[in-house]
Amino acid sequence: MLGSTADSLFWMFRYIERVENTLCMIESGFQLYLLSSSNLNNEWDAILRTNSIRHHFLKKNNSLDSLNIINFMLKDPKNFNNILILFEKARENARRSRVSITSEVWEAINTCWLYLNEELNKKINESKIQTIIKNTREKIALIFGFLERSMLKNEILNFCYLGTFIERFDNTVRILNTRYYLLLDEKKIRFEGYNNFQLEMILRSISSYRSFMWKNQNEIKANKVSYFLISDKDMPKSLMFCVNETIKNLRSIHKKNFPKNKSYQNALSIQKKIKQKSRNFNNYLFLNSLFKLNMTLAANIEEEFNFQ
Amino acid sequence: MTYFTKTYDEAFINENSVRTNYKKFISWYKNQDNDELTKINSDAMKFFENTGVSFKVYSSDKKENLIPFDIIPRIINSKEWDKLVKGITQRVLAINFFLTDIYGQQEIIKHGVIPVDLIQNNTAFLKQMIGLTPPNKTYNHISGIDLIKTNSDNYYVLEDNVRVPSGASYMIENRDTMIKLFPEPISRYKVSDNRNYAKYLSEILKKSSPKKSKINPNIVLLTPGIYNSAFFEHAFLADKLGVELVEGKDLRVINKYLNMKTINGWKRVDVIYRRIDDIFLDPLSFKEDSFLGVPGLMEVYRNKNVTIANAPGTGISDDKSIYSYIPDIIKFYLGQKPILKNVKTFKCRIKDELKYVLDNLNKLVVKEVHGSGGYGMLVGPLASKTEISKFKNKIKKNPYSYIAQPTLSLSTCPVYTKKGLTPRHVDLRCFALLAQEKVTVIDGGLTRVALKKGSLIVNSSQGGGTKDTWILSS
Repeated sequence: MLGSTADSLFWMFRYIERVENTLCMIESGFQLYLLSSSNLNNEWDAILRTNSIRHHFLKKNNSLDSLNIINFMLKDPKNFNNILILFEKARENARRSRVSITSEVWEAINTCWLYLNEELNKKINESKIQTIIKNTREKIALIFGFLERSMLKNEILNFCYLGTFIERFDNTVRILNTRYYLLLDEKKIRFEGYNNFQLEMILRSISSYRSFMWKNQNEIKANKVSYFLISDKDMPKSLMFCVNETIKNLRSIHKKNFPKNKSYQNALSIQKKIKQKSRNFNNYLFLNSLFKLNMTLAANIEEEFNFQ
Repeated sequence: MTYFTKTYDEAFINENSVRTNYKKFISWYKNQDNDELTKINSDAMKFFENTGVSFKVYSSDKKENLIPFDIIPRIINSKEWDKLVKGITQRVLAINFFLTDIYGQQEIIKHGVIPVDLIQNNTAFLKQMIGLTPPNKTYNHISGIDLIKTNSDNYYVLEDNVRVPSGASYMIENRDTMIKLFPEPISRYKVSDNRNYAKYLSEILKKSSPKKSKINPNIVLLTPGIYNSAFFEHAFLADKLGVELVEGKDLRVINKYLNMKTINGWKRVDVIYRRIDDIFLDPLSFKEDSFLGVPGLMEVYRNKNVTIANAPGTGISDDKSIYSYIPDIIKFYLGQKPILKNVKTFKCRIKDELKYVLDNLNKLVVKEVHGSGGYGMLVGPLASKTEISKFKNKIKKNPYSYIAQPTLSLSTCPVYTKKGLTPRHVDLRCFALLAQEKVTVIDGGLTRVALKKGSLIVNSSQGGGTKDTWILSS
């Protein structure tokens, strides 16, 4: 496989995953807006910071108006990470690697792109936001469905998944990092303004509220949320799950040579770090170091496989 | 809606009388519900949109456009087609001999068949190719021969495209679409398959590989990238061929061989099916600032360590001033009478012919020698007086750059509209593949149709559409 093809596959799925994650966050914010929650401003603030776009947004806007934020995140050209731009990039990479993906995967990406362009280039009113998010998430699920069902189980697929899980790790660690103070052990410090509601919002912003409640007998506690999002190997958005998948895919690409490779070694060290997480760790520093390690891992992959 | 056409129509003799080829189709068509047809027509466009079949017109925005597809097939019987195949085969072989000669001994000039200045002063003649024999002595592996029909037995060759002819992907997609939309009428006929194009293309590319690597040669398709107007076709063909789609940045010359950058390091490349123009191939030999090609590629080619399909320099034979000599070229190399007709061509470089052209501009079609895509041409009968006088000055300034041809009455075929069938002018691009002096002509080709009433310009960049082309097997 060409290095540049691996590059396109990897980034195609980073962008698709980023779109999905961004939509989840918009949806969680929008739900609060509909409930006229008193926590609304805090939540939007956290969401904007998670996406590193708070500064850009506040340049143009004086207040955290919900519909302005949603518009900004979906389609404002001043936001380089808006949904339209992200999906455009995903499709561009799909076009570059068109020969490597099946026509089913390609058409799923292309129809999603056609849909977003049609819907987001119109004026977006309140009543349409949920429909757009729901339809887009369904179309993304279709992409992943065809990816699973129609592609050969070879290194092409491995690079698609590497992009997906590197990006998902990045997303989860960003969400945690923005609100690290909520996850401190309750016995030690009780942060002012801390409440279960905000923990719930973390879970909702990655669409994992129900699965958490199911696993934890409907009881929300900071240490449990923290374990769920960081260490639970069954939870598809947890850091542990993401790094395990990354390791699996790296092994499969490298075949017998994997122990020697830097990317593989670095992925293992991330896994080890999560396993060894002690009860007395410093949340902020811990999460921050995972965030940086994941970035290094992505750079290792790009270098090792001759991306361009 | 009445069906009326001044020129030869391929389907109707008159409103009430259908030609043999179309009888079964038209009788099926007449029994269809019009609303249903309207729906199928819009389904067809949706189908193309979803599969991403698109092309780009060169303009500032990045917009992708669909080439309009007309759901009424063009039908050609086997007798007519057999003659075309023979004629195309003859031209393709003669062109290859011509290229071999013109970059070699130049016998054709020595014998006075072609004037030397036509070659010497021609920008399409690549000095870098003189004395260089390409692997397997093949230049035009892939040719796209454009034909027009004027009456029941006359086809004319309009152009021989042997640089980087495009359109094969639309030919295949059109057939796929027809089978999905109209399974019934297509099954009433015995229509020859054209979707074997990729299979034949793959075969000739393998055969064209330099000797040392004949077994499983590594073939790549070289594209300028996703912003190129024909990128869809590049990806489509690479996919069907099962080869890597590469850009110049993926390739590098290492130790006299061409290599591509893979996830496991460098891998040797044996055959390039290139979809970039000559001048971009190698910045060391041609355009210095080109990023699309590979530095040193021509040196590898000279050492016969890689095949480039089509060979650089083939453009000299599809030059519009050489075009008028193709019948002589066929006679010279093959000793045969040309099977297909050429359109009478006036060369503005010759004094008497220039005078005739300038005096009769309102009757002629004037073309730039190196133009393509229907740009830079004058259609005399449709042009205004000011346009004609402007063009007159252009020709006078640079007579070497222009040729002129009489306006031919292109045949029409019915196209679908909500109000019923209506005639539009068509041409036909046929694809021919060459390896080891054997020519394969693909059954069918791409019918291009001018969708504006009365228009003779069928190019997709100027609002033309396409049709599926059915060759009936005998």
